[in-house]
Amino acid sequence: MTEAKTLLETRELSKNFGELKVLRGINEKIVEGERVVIIGASGSGKSTFLRCLNMLEEPSSGAVLFEGIDMTSPETDIDRTRQKIGMVFQHFNLFPHLTILENLTIAPTHLKLKSKEEAEGAAMQLLHRIGLADKATTYPAMLSGGQKQRVAIARSLVMEPDVMLFDEPTSALDPEMVGEVLDLIRELAADGMTMVIVTHEMGFAREVATRIMFMDEGEILEQNPPAAFFENPQNPRLRDFLSKVLY
Amino acid sequence: MQEFIDNIVWEFTRTFITDNRWKLFLEGFKNTLTITVLAVLVGVALGTVISVVHYVAAQAKSKIKRKSDPFLKKLGRGVLLFADRILAAYVAVMRGSPLAIQIMIMSFVVMRGFSDKVIVASVAFGLNSAAYVSEVIRGGINSVDSGQMEAGRSVGLSQIAALRLIVLPQAIKNILPALCNEFIAVLKETSIVGLIAVTDLTRASDLVRSRTLSAFFPLISAGIVYFVLVALLSTGVSKLEARLAQSDRS
Repeated sequence: MTEAKTLLETRELSKNFGELKVLRGINEKIVEGERVVIIGASGSGKSTFLRCLNMLEEPSSGAVLFEGIDMTSPETDIDRTRQKIGMVFQHFNLFPHLTILENLTIAPTHLKLKSKEEAEGAAMQLLHRIGLADKATTYPAMLSGGQKQRVAIARSLVMEPDVMLFDEPTSALDPEMVGEVLDLIRELAADGMTMVIVTHEMGFAREVATRIMFMDEGEILEQNPPAAFFENPQNPRLRDFLSKVLY
Repeated sequence: MQEFIDNIVWEFTRTFITDNRWKLFLEGFKNTLTITVLAVLVGVALGTVISVVHYVAAQAKSKIKRKSDPFLKKLGRGVLLFADRILAAYVAVMRGSPLAIQIMIMSFVVMRGFSDKVIVASVAFGLNSAAYVSEVIRGGINSVDSGQMEAGRSVGLSQIAALRLIVLPQAIKNILPALCNEFIAVLKETSIVGLIAVTDLTRASDLVRSRTLSAFFPLISAGIVYFVLVALLSTGVSKLEARLAQSDRS
């Protein structure tokens, strides 16, 4: 059996905001087919780590590699690599001035990856899949939070990414809408999509993750497959954290 | 009563009909419109460029120097930051000195050999308006949530593409009222072009006044025309605002 392909790799990844050290030299690899969930208290650096993976946050030092390409190198065309890294935000960030369909087609058509017809075809197929085909010509303001987040996921998927990053995808949702978004992420997981998810949904993490990381003060203190992670936590700070979030 | 009406008819005739003076007013009206339209076009185009250069330069200060970045590819970051400084000084000068001085400098110094003073006035007003428009657009860009740019970049759009396709359309929607103010200001400020001997609406009415030695009719007529033009402009912008608000309905 050949070794699974490494999609994302960080080498001594550090990020400072002024004096504050948010990430302290993280070395990590994410291979194809993995579903990595990152948990930790707010301010632990988990969102910053995720945002460094597609260079929305530029590292203060260290490197981030995507499929072997160093994204911190000035030679790298970051826009090209980003096309293959999907990103889903806490606040959806749909483009409010564009229709749902245009939200999905603007990038592939502008980047000339697809013709307008192809892009619309692919977008409609995705909208069918998430059950929002009837909303294609409406604007984001007319959707519920859960619908917006599903469209945001579809917007990433239309680029046919190799990996998807989720930054607290359900944190801004009303409780009754969390389920529909998690269901969609579960579906993607079942299809074998590689993903990195920052979330506070512990039950979901346990169910969907192949590996869970615990971050605290800019470091990954412990990581394990879900069963070991939750049942046999070693680090005292992780135990403390779990005792507060699992009740 | 009859005397009053006769008086008005006489004043009207003297102001507009005698010696075909309406032609003078028409020429003035044409020049006022031409200068305003050209100045607004120059102002919006140049103002957009200034604000975009400023945005890209501000971002470039904090980021890794990349070959794929817009401008940087061809210009290099030093040139970009330098251009931004020059443009900032330009905005300061344009906003910090009287427009009357600016149009006279343009007419008697910079474009001295240029015989078409309407064009000279349009250029001077456009260059001045660009400074104000650039500040308005800068504010508009800042008013758009930073998540919009991030979302645009995350699907692989370049900084310039994300600005053009995602951020600017939303920014312009937010700043329409301020832009409308600027257009109204330009329209009314053109009334000083008499200083460089362009016959605009104000100058025309003043010429007629100096012939007929009757001030009220020519001045009030010019005033009414400005008022109607401003009213049309603001109605137009309101309609545009309503159309752009289409996507806000929930």
